[in-house]
Amino acid sequence: MSALPQSLAGRLLTLQGGLTLLLGIAVVGAIHVFAHANARAQAAKELATGTRVFEHVLASKGERLRQAAEVLAADFGFRGAVVSNDRATLQSALVNHGHRIGADVMMMTDLKGRVSVTTAQTPLTEQAFPAPRLLARAQAAGAATGIVAHDGQVHEMVLVPVRAPNVIGWVAMGFHVDDALAQELSGLTGLEVSFLVRHTDGALTLAGSSGTTDAATPVDELREMIARGHAAGTEVIPVADGLATWRALDASAEAQTLIVLRRPLTEALRTAATLRWTLFALIGLSTVLSLVGGTLIARGVTDPLRRLGGAARAISRGEYATRVEVRSGDEVGALARAFEHMREAIAARESTIMDLAYRDTLTGLPNRALLQERFQQVLGEAHAAGTPVSLLLLDLDDFQLVNGTLGHQTGDLLLKGVARRLQGILPDRAALLARLGGDEFALMLPGVDVAGAGAVAEAARHALEIPLDVAGQTIDVAGSLGVVTFPVHGDDFQTLLSRADLCVGVAKRTRAGYAIYEPGYDQSPERLTLLGELRAAIEGGQLELYYQPKIALPGGQPVQVEALVRWHHPVRGFVPPDQFIPFAEQTGSIRAITRWVLATGCAQLARWRARGVYLNLCVNVSARDLVDDGFPALVAEMLAQAGVAPGGLWLEITESAIMDDPLQAEQTLKRLDELGVHLSIDDFGTGYSSLAYLKRLPVDELKIDKTFVLNMDRDQDDAAIVRSTIDLGHHMGLAVVAEGVDHAETLALLAQWGCDIAQGYYISRPLRADALEAWFAERTLSNSPPAALRRAHA
Amino acid sequence: MSRRALVFAIALVAGFDDAAAAALEVTVVDQDGRPVPDAVVLLRAPAAAPPTAPVPGIIDQIDKRFVPAVSAVPVGTSMSFPNRDDIKHHVYSFSPPKVFELKLYHGVPAAPVVFDRPGLVTLGCNIHDGMVAYLYVVDAATFALTDARGSVRFADGTETASVEAWHHQMDGEPVRATVAPGHPEGSLTLVLPLLAAAVLPPPLE
Repeated sequence: MSALPQSLAGRLLTLQGGLTLLLGIAVVGAIHVFAHANARAQAAKELATGTRVFEHVLASKGERLRQAAEVLAADFGFRGAVVSNDRATLQSALVNHGHRIGADVMMMTDLKGRVSVTTAQTPLTEQAFPAPRLLARAQAAGAATGIVAHDGQVHEMVLVPVRAPNVIGWVAMGFHVDDALAQELSGLTGLEVSFLVRHTDGALTLAGSSGTTDAATPVDELREMIARGHAAGTEVIPVADGLATWRALDASAEAQTLIVLRRPLTEALRTAATLRWTLFALIGLSTVLSLVGGTLIARGVTDPLRRLGGAARAISRGEYATRVEVRSGDEVGALARAFEHMREAIAARESTIMDLAYRDTLTGLPNRALLQERFQQVLGEAHAAGTPVSLLLLDLDDFQLVNGTLGHQTGDLLLKGVARRLQGILPDRAALLARLGGDEFALMLPGVDVAGAGAVAEAARHALEIPLDVAGQTIDVAGSLGVVTFPVHGDDFQTLLSRADLCVGVAKRTRAGYAIYEPGYDQSPERLTLLGELRAAIEGGQLELYYQPKIALPGGQPVQVEALVRWHHPVRGFVPPDQFIPFAEQTGSIRAITRWVLATGCAQLARWRARGVYLNLCVNVSARDLVDDGFPALVAEMLAQAGVAPGGLWLEITESAIMDDPLQAEQTLKRLDELGVHLSIDDFGTGYSSLAYLKRLPVDELKIDKTFVLNMDRDQDDAAIVRSTIDLGHHMGLAVVAEGVDHAETLALLAQWGCDIAQGYYISRPLRADALEAWFAERTLSNSPPAALRRAHA
Repeated sequence: MSRRALVFAIALVAGFDDAAAAALEVTVVDQDGRPVPDAVVLLRAPAAAPPTAPVPGIIDQIDKRFVPAVSAVPVGTSMSFPNRDDIKHHVYSFSPPKVFELKLYHGVPAAPVVFDRPGLVTLGCNIHDGMVAYLYVVDAATFALTDARGSVRFADGTETASVEAWHHQMDGEPVRATVAPGHPEGSLTLVLPLLAAAVLPPPLE
């Protein structure tokens, strides 16, 4: 029964209603079978009884007729008439005395069977008696009764003698065997009675029947009974609407008379049918009642269960707030109460788990996981509503320094203080502050666009400007922020977060405080590919060194070249250094690049020396190289391989690379200095190195960051920085290099301010080794300094 | 004539013995050869002497029986039917030679009944079906009833021209046989076709 209802109520109802119905049908079926069997058995019994009664009645009727006829035949007057030989008298006497006993036909025959007088329609006078066998029986037995078919009619005929006192003849008195007789017998026996006559030619005709059925029916039935071999006598034969039996009467008579006795079942079955319909009505009623009752009971059970189910679904959706409201004293109520306890327990545990899973234990702020979840939720809504969402990422500057110098405990307190400050700047309730880990915080700003996010970033920076009091110490903090906004900067959390991270990096590098994402910040798919290809590039000779000359001021003599790496990608063509150097630094590939640059540059240096081109080589060193203990040995090896004296090599180290790990950097620099190579601080002015620290380092040169130099001819501030840096370097006993010299004015100013060395497009762009050789030759042979210097000299 | 010839032929078959005596013994059997008692046998001579004057006869009713049950009388005999029982009887006859009835009576009826036509008269009692008597009314001078062996002997039978025999159980004419004149004493057997006993009245209670 795949059609079985799934619900408990449905199954209960199906069971209850089905059982009631089944029981009812079984009862009706049993009663039907029983009633039929009973009716049949009853009918069979009645048929047997009726048959016996019938035979008895028929026999006694015949006997009565016989006696009546005998009395009549013995009547003196009648006998007188018989012997009178007056046919008319005899005829009238026959009619008269026949009437006395109600005979329908009377005949008079002599001892030899010759009919003398008859009341039959067909005159039989002087003819043979129509039933000689009956006559013979009468002659043998003194009288006889039998069925005689004669004159188109069937009679029960009595033959009695006329005595004078010897038998002088026979009187035959016949009584119609017809519907009236059949009905009379039927009334006595309770059976349907049919008289049939089988004629000598075998034809069957119906003589009389008590039933209202067609004449054909008993005839056909009898014919079928005989055909089926049912014996006459006591055998009970089922017929169309009941039971029947048949008899052959009076074999001694001329035409055989057959009797069919039927006991119809219709009446008994009508009673059974009435009973059946009553039962059907009762079953229908009880089924309906049991369904109604079952529905009420089932509803009492299933409604609370359904509510419990609803509550369970709510809990599985994470909605723990809804109370389970089932007030019932029964088992379902107990289940509901247990369910309610469970809901409360789950709600409490869930809240704990949520705290553990989604809270930062130090600050109590949401963690990265919760941020991600909420952000994705907000993104979904924003996507549908078409509103922006901004994400701010804040990374504290120099937090490692605090941790390292003041201890982790102080660091933790600082983070808490920062969290409180940032909490204060949240623009609305929808905004969310999270701590992602370490010194990294994030702000989710639903509905805030790029400009708004910038303002929040400003506010954040502003909030951190006031120093924090941490455990009695006043600590200056600053943070770099990355700003991204959905949908303009990306449309999924991971992309937005990684781009915000990039922006933080940019902000840190540029010291701008915060950076709003720009597409140039990453080309992430390319970048990964490039990193993969970089190794192949180093080994496969796709890298080439260019050399940008530096000239001494104020004379303009070429003194150094800075080795700059170029990547000729077989497919992409020229790849700018700023697209792969920063990432090579991150991944560590930079060491291989540095090694290659050193080897190639030193070899070139050796070649130039051999040809009389005396220039010193400057090579950039990354932060990774500085923390590598083997780096000084590598430099020594390269120099030795090329056969170049260490004094010809300058290593340029950025201020920020030194500050990443100042102690390690100091050590490495000292060992390099011991080798005899020269050291230069690159990009000076962008880091936060203290001069006291720098003073300890064995450096020979400061290289002013080109961002100051590029605009110094127009920007007074930059100019001031450059000029004071030159002075500072000189005061510390260091040579000062200015790079980014793109204009004649710049060069002139630098020369004027006493800068020692200049580098830039105005002097020369980076050149290939052979081009540089040519440039060098021209410059030294003509001995012509740049025009600006000439003017300056002038 | 033809009927006579037929009976004569039967008599020839029966045969005569050639004794000189004039006595004639007639034996009556039924169709099965069994002797028939109480059959009346009568002799007819060609020149018959006139019948003797009839002597009045009596048939009593004793103990619901006619006594005698079978008797033979000449034509013209007057019979009386005295009732010796203490119950009434209703004697009647529907036989063609003499139809009469003596309605319920005790004792001797006032007038005797004269049987003036030959033939078999069957007597009954209308209120006692079992009572029956057979009275042969004959128109011959010589006649007798057969004994238990079915035989009757006539001392002087030489004059006899024909012999007739009846029986009340017979249906139809008497059986006749012709005896040649002057024939010596002999015997004759007559065969009577008898009806079944069923035609007799029911036995007395």
